[in-house]
Amino acid sequence: MSIEPATDGFVAIDGASFRYGTEPPIVDRVDWAIPRGAFHCLVGRSGSGKTTLLKLAAGLLAPDRGSVRIDGSALTGPGSRIGFVFQQPTLLDWLSVLDNVLLPVSLKRRPAAQDRDEARALLERVGLGAFGERHPGQLSGGQQSRVAVARALITQPDLLLLDEPFAALDALTREELQDDLLALCALHATTVLFVTHDITEAVYLADRVAIMAASRLHHDMPIDLPRPRRREMRYGQPFNALCRALRQAMDEAP
Amino acid sequence: MTARLASAFLLLVLLAAWEAWCRLGGVPALIVPAPSAVFATLWSEIATGRLWPHLRITATEMALGLALGCAVGLGIGILLAEAGFLRRLLHPYIVASQVVPKLALGPLFIVWFGFGMTPTVVITALICFFPLMENTLTGLAQVDPARRELFRMLGASRLQTLLRLKLPSALPVILAGLRVAVVLALVGAVVGEFIGGRAGLGASIIAAQSVMDSSLMFALFIVITLLGMVFYQAALLTERLLLRHHLKG
Ligand SMILES: Nc1ncnc2c1ncn2[C@@H]1O[C@H](COP(=O)(O)OP(=O)(O)O)[C@@H](O)[C@H]1O
Ligand SMILES: [Mg+2]
Repeated sequence: MSIEPATDGFVAIDGASFRYGTEPPIVDRVDWAIPRGAFHCLVGRSGSGKTTLLKLAAGLLAPDRGSVRIDGSALTGPGSRIGFVFQQPTLLDWLSVLDNVLLPVSLKRRPAAQDRDEARALLERVGLGAFGERHPGQLSGGQQSRVAVARALITQPDLLLLDEPFAALDALTREELQDDLLALCALHATTVLFVTHDITEAVYLADRVAIMAASRLHHDMPIDLPRPRRREMRYGQPFNALCRALRQAMDEAP
Repeated sequence: MTARLASAFLLLVLLAAWEAWCRLGGVPALIVPAPSAVFATLWSEIATGRLWPHLRITATEMALGLALGCAVGLGIGILLAEAGFLRRLLHPYIVASQVVPKLALGPLFIVWFGFGMTPTVVITALICFFPLMENTLTGLAQVDPARRELFRMLGASRLQTLLRLKLPSALPVILAGLRVAVVLALVGAVVGEFIGGRAGLGASIIAAQSVMDSSLMFALFIVITLLGMVFYQAALLTERLLLRHHLKG
């Protein structure tokens, strides 16, 4: 994959800076392009500004300087073309699982039978087909994260942004969810930006990994592993070499 | 279950001790009537049908005052929570108004609304208003920032955010305010009748006092306590029903 100039990506971040109040910038002159349908990961220590950069890409925050463009037009605020998965599942505990998945739809219009079918199909795909009528309090943490992913995908967004969505889960559940996510995103060729601090997660999921350190984007690294990704790859030599290289690059970043 | 049995047993023991104290200690019936006399009076009030109109009136005043006070408290709570300017402008006055002993306004309300149910309903409503407003304000301010951000991400309007996020999130806090209001409503209704009531359980206590009928007063205390417990249990039941899916905390 060639390095795309910033102006050509589906997501184009150009010299974006952001500061909370008068503090030093939390995101400092970041340039980044994500081609349509690509899966990019962002890794970095906690506090390096990853969440802030993701919120800039979502339109939840507006850059002080520079610009964020999606499909050529400047981003002015959150829109239904962008799905966001928060670090916590943030489900509404008074709604059923199905209604939680339907929330993005039901805020726009009354959900039709077709929407319900679609929500059920999505739940089926994340392995929760039998749980639609339950409530979030009756689900495990991993199941709640699955619901959050299904909710972000119900509107079939062109761009999916995820903020360490699986960080709180055990390793096995995390691997299952990574496979589910890859399958779901491949289905509609969704463009993805995935934030994580887990190096193997980044290498397993991404076409390209960028490293964020001290508010700046430092290094980016293409991941040329074949797709679809399979579990066995995690134990192969190329995978481990990439993890080691990424680790080294992170250590070298200030 | 054993705990409940033990509680019931304790009640029997206490009643027996009270009865024994009255009979053996020679306590004058005017000061403390024996439980047997109280229950006899209570039974005759029920059997003759004298009790029911009074019970109905007090229960109605309580329900109306509670409904009115809670509706206004909820409405103002929402308004102040949503309009920061109004909140800063009016909150000091509302707090100050709560320090005024509302029961002391009873005589004034009799001048305004005449005798009867109206002044008592108004007093009850005034008393119930505050816990609802205060808890609505607190509950609406406590909404999880991550959920707010979710609603912003989903492009929800302000009204949608209020109705579909803030109010449901605040419901446990609001209903806790309702529980407090229920207890206060009983106080409001009974004491309101002390001041300006012609009929009702509180007015009956004043009437019993004027003829020095202590056992009737005790019988009325029992009825008032039971009435309060019925309302309180209803509030608990409502709470359990509405919050059955809310997570603890
Ligand atoms: N709302 C905020 N107000 C002020 N400072 C913030 C806010 N959110 C985050 N920060 C600061 O920005 C820095 C980066 O935060 P964040 O983007 O969450 O990093 P990461 O997601 O990489 O852990 C942190 O030092 C944090 O203290
Ligand atoms: Mg973060």
